[in-house]
Amino acid sequence: MSKKRKISLSEDELVLALRNHEKVAVEALYDMYSSSLFGVISRIVIDTAIAEDILQETFVKIWHSFSSYSTDKGRLFTWMVNIARNLAIDKIRSKDFKNQNKNQEIENNVTSIDEQRNTVYKPELMGVKDLVQTLKSDQKSIIDLVYFKGYTHVEAAEELGIPLGTIKTRLRMGIQELRKHFN
Amino acid sequence: MEDLKAYIETGILELYVLGDITPDEKHQVEAMALKHPEVKAELDEIELSMERYAKENAVEPSENLRGRILGSLLTNFGDDSNFTAAPLHTEADTYEDEEQQDNKIVAMPARKEGNFYKYAFAASLALLIASAVAIFNLNNKLQDSNTQLLSLQQSKQQFANQVNLMDKELTVFRDTSYKLIRLKGTPKNETSALTLAFSPGKKKVVLDIANMKMAENDKAHQYQLWALVGGKPVDLGVFDSVSDSTVSIKEMKSIASADAFAVTLEPRGGSVNPTLDQMVVLGKY
Repeated sequence: MSKKRKISLSEDELVLALRNHEKVAVEALYDMYSSSLFGVISRIVIDTAIAEDILQETFVKIWHSFSSYSTDKGRLFTWMVNIARNLAIDKIRSKDFKNQNKNQEIENNVTSIDEQRNTVYKPELMGVKDLVQTLKSDQKSIIDLVYFKGYTHVEAAEELGIPLGTIKTRLRMGIQELRKHFN
Repeated sequence: MEDLKAYIETGILELYVLGDITPDEKHQVEAMALKHPEVKAELDEIELSMERYAKENAVEPSENLRGRILGSLLTNFGDDSNFTAAPLHTEADTYEDEEQQDNKIVAMPARKEGNFYKYAFAASLALLIASAVAIFNLNNKLQDSNTQLLSLQQSKQQFANQVNLMDKELTVFRDTSYKLIRLKGTPKNETSALTLAFSPGKKKVVLDIANMKMAENDKAHQYQLWALVGGKPVDLGVFDSVSDSTVSIKEMKSIASADAFAVTLEPRGGSVNPTLDQMVVLGKY
């Protein structure tokens, strides 16, 4: 598979270039983050065409409101992925979306998307997939519900029939597991 | 220090990274991160791991989406009109041209989520049902009309037949050559009576069936009309006496002259010679 090389910058360089409205910055932004953002969006919004529209809206919004981002608020990706997630969640909760899509079973989506599409495996992340799959399933399901399904932790608690405090604990433990494996 | 650890342990930083907190909590977390490097470090760790988790679950969007999205951002550059499609790639120029073509911005067809077909289907169905009911009703009416027509035709036929018969009767009565002869009952059958019309010129004998007074004959027997010519009986045919008969007159066999007429009760089909003791009525010409 001959993939073309993509523009890649360090996060500081990228933020600076974006502030200066450099054309190359937008391309770098897209090449560096589009697949990660699309992974999140397309798990929340199952329909590919709609997910693509949301990805476009996300980049437009990032570009328009970039002045409101500051590095001391956190990482760039965190800020962007929250824009993407909010747009996607707004979409699936909008009336017209509900009218045209029957809700699907929660469990199926995350894995079915992996089966349907070429998920990008990065060499530096080799083995992580397996490790993540060894995460306790209740921790993973909470992370996935909140991160990939657009549930709030309150809704996830209701969905899984677990007390709020337990949800928070499991969420924290799950993310700590992830941290261990990534470090 | 202990307070900070407890704060971190609540899991609020994770919810902050997931964007799942209220604006108040958000400001609080940001203030804490500014004040305490430990909180900031913890936040960074969480953010980084979620970022890598997202990367690990990345889905590559379709190739031509890149051009579409960069194109829509491009409008923000005003006069800066072109994005190179894939700025750093090393493939041949032809590939690049192709790429640029791919990257043309194409207006997406509007999604029309109309209820048109639903309503059209419902309307068609309603129309179909209405038509079926109308056809059923019309068919019933048609059948009624046909039955009426049939019964009208039948009664018309009846009238025509009746008119024909009456015509015949009238010709008999009008024709002056006919003579009416009343046959009266024999002593054994005093109540019986029969009228016939005889025309020697036309050699015709006609019975007035409608007004005859004869006992009904059974199935084994029939009345037989005789003409007496020079003292000898001549057969003029048989007839039935049936109460509900629709026939009003009956023409018998022809004869040129007769002295008298008589009716006897004979076995069905008639006899060659009259059974004289079964004579019912008799009348002289």
